[in-house]
Amino acid sequence: MAARALTKGLLGLRQLRAVATGYSCGGHQYATATSAKPLQPAHDDVSEKVLSLPLDKPDFFRVAELFSVKDLFDARVHLGHKQGCRHRLMEPYLYGCRLDQDIIDLDQTVDHLQQALNFTAHVAYRGGVILFVSRRRQFGHLVESTAQECGEYAHTRYWQGGLLTNAPIQYGPGVRLPDLIVFLSTLNNVFQQHVGIRDAAKMNIPTVGVVDSNCNPCLITYPVPGNDDTLAAMELYCRLFKMTISRAKDKRRQMELVHGLTAPSTPSS
Amino acid sequence: MAAVVMSRCRSRLRFSSRWFFRSYFSSDSSGTSGSDPPAADAPRSGFAAAFDLQTEIRREAGTSAAGLRGSSSGQDESFASLLRRSPLVQMGPARDRVVVGRIFHVVQDDLYIDFGGKFHCVCRRPADGGEKLQRGSRVRLRLQDLELTARFLGAQTDTTLLEAQAVLLGPLEGREGRD
Repeated sequence: MAARALTKGLLGLRQLRAVATGYSCGGHQYATATSAKPLQPAHDDVSEKVLSLPLDKPDFFRVAELFSVKDLFDARVHLGHKQGCRHRLMEPYLYGCRLDQDIIDLDQTVDHLQQALNFTAHVAYRGGVILFVSRRRQFGHLVESTAQECGEYAHTRYWQGGLLTNAPIQYGPGVRLPDLIVFLSTLNNVFQQHVGIRDAAKMNIPTVGVVDSNCNPCLITYPVPGNDDTLAAMELYCRLFKMTISRAKDKRRQMELVHGLTAPSTPSS
Repeated sequence: MAAVVMSRCRSRLRFSSRWFFRSYFSSDSSGTSGSDPPAADAPRSGFAAAFDLQTEIRREAGTSAAGLRGSSSGQDESFASLLRRSPLVQMGPARDRVVVGRIFHVVQDDLYIDFGGKFHCVCRRPADGGEKLQRGSRVRLRLQDLELTARFLGAQTDTTLLEAQAVLLGPLEGREGRD
């Protein structure tokens, strides 16, 4: 009893809102409290196990197998901008500067990308809404088709000011905001930081972002230092994110099937 | 004739071990240079012989090393060695270097060409051989700059055009010869 109360307190609002959304995941809900109801005890154990099992291992979804340093190198992820375009805060992520062109350290990129993909997989496993954002016009179609293929969302057009911060007024009450925003390019078309990064930080939404050598990695939760100007690199990122999200969702379906069979059929009152 | 015999003898002396290796396995091991032997058994001179020697050595090294290493050779290389051996770094300064690019987009007279760098370059279609150059054709370029950037007055960072600059030299001629 005490343990259940404790877990309820820890998971807290997430499980209460789960009944309203039909899926056990934390969302930024603007609905009223009357929709919140306590869960059935029988479902509680199964869903707890399904949710907590991936958290025991560091790389439950094995995202480290999806790519290697050679793949990143062949996709030209290590190429940065010229020295004059460099952002001061990207200096720790750079391997060096060769004939005025910055080279990004792929050993650090591998670690950062693994962490970012792992986090994305966990969010997708828990049924979170993932939003892909990129203001690069030449890759807009690629990003949108990636999002469509993995069943998530994309925003590659003009970002209205109040999209995240003024959502209930702009889109109506009860709007669910994204649980993760993936920036495939953190700059907008005038080389300023995308407004979505600051707004996501304001709304406590974690962000994953590919930061080039002229970007500011400050407010991004999981920065991935890498090239965002070459088609080969963007295709690689899109492919990796799509595979991660698909893998996580398939794993969730599999876990629910496996553990749903072992749970008792009659709920105990 | 005498000159040919002389050159053959010289090459035989220089690559004596090579020649011995070949003659040991070839059926006609007479070694006379009077008749013209088949191309596979002919004693090659100069670059051809050196190339054969190096490929054999490399093949032997590869087969012996593959037994030791479990994964493929590409996976074990560190980023530093990959970078050091990459064509971009081996090329050096990009000014006036001739490279091969591939056209990936065409907008009427503008050809968007990707040559393996961070950015693509945009060249105007030449007047004389222009119709042959379509999406997917390979062309030769003389690079000027890998990225067009400049620091303007009052700016904190450089302004970049997100493009490289290159001069279009023409289509890749090797294709016509091979066809």
